[in-house]
Amino acid sequence: MQADKNIYKPLRAKLTEVIDESPLIKTFVLVPEEEFAFKTGQFIELSVDGIGEAPFTPSSSPVITDKLEVTVMKTGYVTEYMHNLKPGAYMGIRGPYGRGYPVEKFFGKQVLILGGGCGLAPIRSLLYALEHVKDNLEKVILCYGSKTPSDCIYKPLFNRLNKIDKFEAYRTVDKPDEEWNESVGVATKLLDKIKVDINNSLAVVCGPPIMMKFGTIRILEMGYRDEQIYLSMEKNMSCGLGKCGHCMMGKFFVCKDGPVFTYNELKDTPDIWK
Amino acid sequence: MQYRSIIKEEWDKALEQMLSSHDVFASVSNEFGQDYEHIKPANISGITYNKPKPATSLKNFFLPVRENVTGKRTSEKPRIIIGIPNCDIEGLSLLDDIYLDKDFNDPFYRKRRENTLLVASDCFGIAEHCHCLSYGINPWSSRIADLAVVSMDGKIIFRIISGKGEDFIRNIPVSGLPVEKELLIAVEKEHSATESLLSEANKGLPDYKETGRIVREARKETWEKYSARCVSCGACATICPTCTCFLLIDKPGFEKIKQLDACQYPGFERVAGGEDGLYELHTRFRNRYMCKYVWKPQKFQPVACTGCGRCIEACIGKINKNELFMELV
Repeated sequence: MQADKNIYKPLRAKLTEVIDESPLIKTFVLVPEEEFAFKTGQFIELSVDGIGEAPFTPSSSPVITDKLEVTVMKTGYVTEYMHNLKPGAYMGIRGPYGRGYPVEKFFGKQVLILGGGCGLAPIRSLLYALEHVKDNLEKVILCYGSKTPSDCIYKPLFNRLNKIDKFEAYRTVDKPDEEWNESVGVATKLLDKIKVDINNSLAVVCGPPIMMKFGTIRILEMGYRDEQIYLSMEKNMSCGLGKCGHCMMGKFFVCKDGPVFTYNELKDTPDIWK
Repeated sequence: MQYRSIIKEEWDKALEQMLSSHDVFASVSNEFGQDYEHIKPANISGITYNKPKPATSLKNFFLPVRENVTGKRTSEKPRIIIGIPNCDIEGLSLLDDIYLDKDFNDPFYRKRRENTLLVASDCFGIAEHCHCLSYGINPWSSRIADLAVVSMDGKIIFRIISGKGEDFIRNIPVSGLPVEKELLIAVEKEHSATESLLSEANKGLPDYKETGRIVREARKETWEKYSARCVSCGACATICPTCTCFLLIDKPGFEKIKQLDACQYPGFERVAGGEDGLYELHTRFRNRYMCKYVWKPQKFQPVACTGCGRCIEACIGKINKNELFMELV
């Protein structure tokens, strides 16, 4: 209960660094004027003063509360303004909102993560969270696909992950260049080469809608049950408070009931991949 | 239920005295029709009792069309709203579920609710398109409101619903009298007569136990046929007592303007990447029915439509949702 808090008022955050991740993707390092804690998979509404705001899941570790990183793809009106911001600017943050990943349910399990495109942003935060509790996990497998090598973000992340005990990370691209020496093809293709004990595993899928759809179908074919699959849904979350109606997906307000759902919760809702 | 009556002239005088300390709004009839108006001494006599229904819904008293939700709020006088039909009162139940939600309590909505005394009015008779009873809602209030009134026999009879209503009656400068049994019997007769009129006018209209199934099972052809005359003006949602969707608009200084929105407008669900689940007109049209009759009932309460019929009256394409339900029953 936040009876006296104005739920619509953003917290100011200073932009301290802008990291170029790919031609269309940048990571913004923000220092909020107050401590800001979130659970991995929860999202924030990030605003450009006087221009607009949009929902993003932070890509940084939920263990760090004095700064956060948000990875933004230049896609529309607001994100274009974001990409023009320089360190020193102030942005607005509301949140954190929604239900994130249930990390404690991953304890004792093999965690399979299937990601695509900019979906790696929330996954990176999840990976940091899982690294923090790795003693409680059996294994973490990341399968990630992007269109081209230059679209593949967080390049140092993969080398680092493969050096962490219990972590495996694989990458693929649709269109390789001459230097690419890893897998070629869509992200689901990576699932053919991994070894996972499905009965003792949970799967996470996060990426563009088309990848979410075919990724979920493929993971179901592998033998995962509906309730073993966690999906991070993307809708037009505008208020983040379960009120404005823009992100309704069937009876769910994605912003409040999600954005992380099990496939079991969503499978009877029509048009979830749109 | 406790009742009190006040001679009509005395009540009007008491109301006039209250105008200095309260903002009073009431359902008023004049040559333009019936609607909620800000009450001044001159229009106290125009306050309409027993008669459905104001042209607009109660919603905008609590959810203004546009407001700055980050600026400082000036204190407001306590507010009294008189002559509210039960369709509007019941509509508040869904608004409360959403805006007084335990996780994210909207301070603007909450303060307005706390600051307002709701004086419902029983409906004696019906207006065109009234169909509250089909959705399990009586044409008189017994909850959510603070008081319900009828005007009869030169008196205003108050039915006390809440503690706040009881305090109000206790503190007004004229003393309320007990209500004669004969008058209460006469009121009950009016209730029964109104029920009969509603049943007769809505014969064959499916009730709330069937509407969800009908909407779920309706085929694309039905939505295309009925939406063919829809111009996406959003009037149905704007006038609806339970449609609450809004948009947040950014202004310099990290200010947010909250403005009512409607799923009938193009782009309501569009994301920056271009995906738009409600791109086609018939999908937007269907979305409103799914929201009212399937999704909101699954999440909050049996019906998210209170049967006021205003969406039928407001539609410039003359789309009648009751015709749609009658066709599909």
